[in-house]
Amino acid sequence: MAEPEERDGLAAEFALGSLPPLERAEAERLIAADPDFAARAVHWENRLSPLALSLAPVEPPAHLRDRVMQAVAGGGDETVVALRRQTQRWRAAAISAMALAAALAGFIVFRAPPTLEGGRYVAVLQAEGTNPAFLASVDLAAGTIRVRTLSAAPQPGKSYELWAAGAGRQKPQSLGVIDADFRIGADKLGKVDPGTLQETIFAVSLEPEGGSPTGEATGPVLFVGKLVPAE
Amino acid sequence: MSIISKPVDRDLDTLLQKIAGGDRQAFGRLYDLTSPRLFAIIRAVVRKPELAEEALQEAFVRVWQKAWAYDPAKAPAMGWLATIARNQAIDLKRRFAEKLSERSEPEDQRIGFTMPEAELALEMRKLRECLSRLPVDRQDMVLLAYYQGFSREELSEKFKRPVTTVKTLLRRSLATLKECLDGRA
Repeated sequence: MAEPEERDGLAAEFALGSLPPLERAEAERLIAADPDFAARAVHWENRLSPLALSLAPVEPPAHLRDRVMQAVAGGGDETVVALRRQTQRWRAAAISAMALAAALAGFIVFRAPPTLEGGRYVAVLQAEGTNPAFLASVDLAAGTIRVRTLSAAPQPGKSYELWAAGAGRQKPQSLGVIDADFRIGADKLGKVDPGTLQETIFAVSLEPEGGSPTGEATGPVLFVGKLVPAE
Repeated sequence: MSIISKPVDRDLDTLLQKIAGGDRQAFGRLYDLTSPRLFAIIRAVVRKPELAEEALQEAFVRVWQKAWAYDPAKAPAMGWLATIARNQAIDLKRRFAEKLSERSEPEDQRIGFTMPEAELALEMRKLRECLSRLPVDRQDMVLLAYYQGFSREELSEKFKRPVTTVKTLLRRSLATLKECLDGRA
């Protein structure tokens, strides 16, 4: 992300809350990785927060206080307890509601890569608590990106679309609709040095048949994975 | 930081420091002091009561976990808490894809500034003044996104404009706001 104007625009929209899931995830990634961007986001949050604080207070139901206190109690490692709770809820959500329009960060699962031969990079695309949906592999020697469908079920009248995010992209880049034999040139990713590749996040969104009409993900982002070396 | 909110923020700073050290009593006190304001923020974004409660609970769990990272030099405590609450609400809303059509309450409900004029903090007045310089439909876009967590896509549906246009209008509006807010003492 080169231009300060674009950076500031993304930080502003993050603070505003209007970003679609993929760009929101990209902004969250930048906040964690890029101090300049993080500072911009905080500045925007500060500019806008008087709006939030001008709302008339609403008393939450009384029973909620106990629930909250209980959530941080438990003597053990609170972080682990909280994460376990989140995982359970997300798993339930994933099972009960297919419409898990993901805030990506919540769904990114860093898995040990399957062992594959050769100098390849793979990303296991899945939602938390579900079986791997797709396996994306980048083969630099052959110059190809391939996607194998694992557990993802076809959706009538819809298409799965593959996106690349992170690694300096200003916004998620469409790599096309995933079909039975998805294979594209690795040059689609632009610079393909290993350092850049490992910062790449692949995501799959559910789009109208034939892919997103706007060039941005319009449907829910269902599966996410990070590229990791396969050897 | 406004004249009105400063003392409160100082109290909250102290509480957050204690919470960072694992003080549950301080955490309970923080909950009592701030949950009504944070719940108001969440309820504006997430209408379903059970989801709103979930978001508030998650927000406070996050506060408990993140209190060590709170830096009063970067943001006033109440603003920091408000940001956590809004982010939880927006994430939950996106995750459950709560759409306009699924909202249980009527849409024409008035949004905006509900605090009495006299209690408005200094920055709020300034922000309000800067917002009022935008065309009315853009004010509405910004406020709907901020208060109710409308995504570009939802704004596009509501205002019958293409998503790309909504993005352009939002970015322009925010840039104008920034100029107005930062440009004056």
